[in-house]
Amino acid sequence: MRPRIVIRYVGMVLIINAIALLIAAAVSLYYGDSSFSTLLYSSLISASFGFFPLIFVPAVSHLTNDEGILIVISSWILISLIGALPFVLWGGEFTFTNAWFESVSGFTTTGSSILNNIEALPMGLLFWRSLTHWLGGLGIIIFVLSLLPSMGMSGLVLIRNEMSPLARNNFRANAKNTLRILLIVYVGLTVLETVALKICGMSVFDAVTHSFATIATGGFSTKNLSIAHFNSVAVESVIMVFMIFSGIHFGILFMTLIGSKLILFKSTVVHYYVAALLIGTFISAYDIYGHYSSSWWEALRFASFQVISLGTSTGFANADSSVWPALSKVILMFFALQCACAGSTSGGIKVDRFVLLWKDIIRQLRLLRHPNAIIPVRLDGEKIEDSVVSQSVLYIVVYLTVIFAASTVLIALGVEVVPSISGTIATMGNVGPGLSYVGSTGNFSQIPDAGKWILTGTMLLGRLEIYGLLIFLLPKSWIPRNTTNAIYK
Amino acid sequence: MVLRIKILSGFFILALMLSIAGFWSIKELRSIGTSVQNLLDENYKSINSAKVMLEALEREDSGILLLMLGKWEEGRKIISAGDSLFQLGYNIASSNITIENEKSYIEEISKDYFLYKQTWERPIVGTDREGNITWYFDKPHKQFMSVKESVNKLMNLNDKTMFDTASELQNRANRAVMPGIVAIIAAVIFSLIFTYFINYFMISPIVKITNSVTAFVTEGKNYNVEIESKDEISRLSDSIRTLCEFVKTAERKN
Repeated sequence: MRPRIVIRYVGMVLIINAIALLIAAAVSLYYGDSSFSTLLYSSLISASFGFFPLIFVPAVSHLTNDEGILIVISSWILISLIGALPFVLWGGEFTFTNAWFESVSGFTTTGSSILNNIEALPMGLLFWRSLTHWLGGLGIIIFVLSLLPSMGMSGLVLIRNEMSPLARNNFRANAKNTLRILLIVYVGLTVLETVALKICGMSVFDAVTHSFATIATGGFSTKNLSIAHFNSVAVESVIMVFMIFSGIHFGILFMTLIGSKLILFKSTVVHYYVAALLIGTFISAYDIYGHYSSSWWEALRFASFQVISLGTSTGFANADSSVWPALSKVILMFFALQCACAGSTSGGIKVDRFVLLWKDIIRQLRLLRHPNAIIPVRLDGEKIEDSVVSQSVLYIVVYLTVIFAASTVLIALGVEVVPSISGTIATMGNVGPGLSYVGSTGNFSQIPDAGKWILTGTMLLGRLEIYGLLIFLLPKSWIPRNTTNAIYK
Repeated sequence: MVLRIKILSGFFILALMLSIAGFWSIKELRSIGTSVQNLLDENYKSINSAKVMLEALEREDSGILLLMLGKWEEGRKIISAGDSLFQLGYNIASSNITIENEKSYIEEISKDYFLYKQTWERPIVGTDREGNITWYFDKPHKQFMSVKESVNKLMNLNDKTMFDTASELQNRANRAVMPGIVAIIAAVIFSLIFTYFINYFMISPIVKITNSVTAFVTEGKNYNVEIESKDEISRLSDSIRTLCEFVKTAERKN
C-alpha cells in the first residue's frame, strides 16, 4: 500500500468536486443568494486538497487492488465530507451531522433528507444538492476517469473497484469505450429530460435539478412536497419514463439506441424489471383505489409513480404513500429492496441478482427431482458460472443481514420499529423515503444523531455494494506492503 | 517541478485557506453589527412610532367623549394634543419605510385616520351629537377601531421582521464562526499531508543519499538510491551516482 498514491488519486476526485462546487457557486451568484461564499470557500478547500498531491506525487502506471479499493472508498468518504462543507458553513437546519447526512445522501443518490423546509435553502445550495446526485449517480470515480485522459492500467483497477461486478457483464467494449458509453448515455438522458420538463412547464432551474435527481435515481427535489408540488400529470409522466430508463443497464440502452443490437427487448433482466414494475403498480392501484384515491385513473397515477420511484431507487413522491394500506406498503418495501438493473445508476440488491436467485431456486427444485443432473443457470442463453450465482445469493444474504443489524441498532437508540426498518431499507438501497415519518413526504430529522451516522453508513455500504467498504474497514488493508515493482511514468 | 515551488505552494495554500476564512469571518461579524444596527434603527423606530400613534388615538377618543359630555374646551385641547402626537408618530413611520409592503400599511393608516378625523373635526358640543351614544358607536368609535387596527398591522409587520432578523442573526453568527473552525481543521489536515510529503519526498531521500554516500566512502558499496520525484533531489542523486561511478573508474585505473 502506497498512501501517497492513494492521496494523489483521491486528489483528482477532489478537483472534479471543486469544479462542481464552483459551478454551484456560479449559480448562487446568478441568483444573488446567500450561499455564494460558502460554496466558493468549499471549492477552494476541495481544490487545495486536490491540486497539492499532484504537485508532489508523480503518476504511476499501475495500482494494486488494495490501493484501488482504498482510493474508491476514500474518494466517496472525502467528497461526502467536503460536499457537506457548504451546508455546515451556511447553517440553518444543518448541524455537522445533518450536513454529513445530506451530503452522503446526495452523493450516494439516496435522496433521504433531514430538512423540514427545503424551500428555505438558497438556490445555490439547492443546485449543489442536486449536483451531488448527478456526480454520484455515475460513480464519482467513473466520472473522473471519463473526464481525464487515459490512465492505463491504473484506470482499469479503479473501474474494477468502482463498478458493480454484475454491471461489467453487459459492457462488451474496452475500458475507455465503456466510460465513453456511460458518459454519453448519462449526459444524453439528462439533457433530454431537462428539455422535456421545461416543455412541461417547469422553470429551467427546476428542470435541471430534477433531471439531475432523476437520471442519477437520487430523489432530491427543490420542493417540500417533492413532485406532488407541481401537480402535473405531464411532469410526472416525463419523470416516470426517465426513471425507468435510468434503471436499465446503460450498456444495453446505448446498444439499443445506436441500433446495433435490440437486446433491450430481449434481455431477461429487463423483461423481469418491467414486468415487476407493472405488477407492483396494478396491485398497489387496486389496493389504494377507493381508500386513498377517488378514481381508477388517480389510483393508477399515484401507484405507478410511487412504485416506479421506489423500484428504480429514485425516491420522488407524488403522494404520501406512508398512509397507504399495508399491502401497498409491503410492495413498496419489496421494490426498495430490489430496485433496478445492475449497470444503471440504481441502488438496492438489483434485479439481476433477483433473477439469478429465482433461477437458482428453480434449478435447486429440478435437482431435487434429478439429483445427478448437471443443470447450469442460464441468462439470455449464456451459462452463468456457479460462482457468480453463489456470490449473488450470498450478497442478498449479507445485504439483509446488514439491514437487520442496522435496524436493530436504530430500535435500540429509541427509534420506532417501522421507521427503523423502512428507513434502513431505504438508505441501504439508496432509495430515500421509507415509511411513517421517514416516508415520502416526511424526513429523517427526528432520527437521533447516532442513528443518522448509522444510516449514512448503510448508504455507503449500499452504494459500494458492501464488500468494498468492509474490506476498507479491515486493518489488513492499511498495512503497507512492498510495492517497489510499481513502474513510475 | 522544482523544490522551491513545491514548498512554497504548500505554505501559500495554507496561508490562503486561513486568510480567506479570516476575511470571511470578519465580513460576517461586520454584517452582524450592521444587522443589529438596522434592527434598532429601522424596525424598533417603526414599532415606537406605532406605539405613539396608538397613544394619540386613545387620547383623541377620550377627547371625543369629553366633547359628547359638553366639555368643549377640555375636549378640544386633548384632541388637538392627540392629533399633534399622531402626526409626529405618523411622520416618523412614513419616513422610515424599510420593509417590503410597509408603504401600503402607512397609506392605509393615512386613509383611515383622514376618515376618523372627519368625525371629530365638525362641531359636537351643542349639536345633536352631544350625548348621542349611538352616533359615537356608529361613527367615531368604528373609525377609531379601524385606524387602530391599521396601526397594529404596521406594528406586527415590524415585529415579525424584527423576529426574522434576530433569527437570521443566529445564522450569521454561525457563518462567522464556521469558516474559522473549518479553516483550522483543514489547515491541520493539510499540514499533516504537507509534512508527510516533505518527509517522504525530501527528507527521506536526503537521508538515503547521505547513507549511501557514507557506505560508498567507508565500505566501498555501490551508490544505489532510487528517487521517485523528478526534481533537484533526483538530479542531485543522479549527479552523485555519476560522481561515484567516476571515482570508481578512476580508482580502477589507478
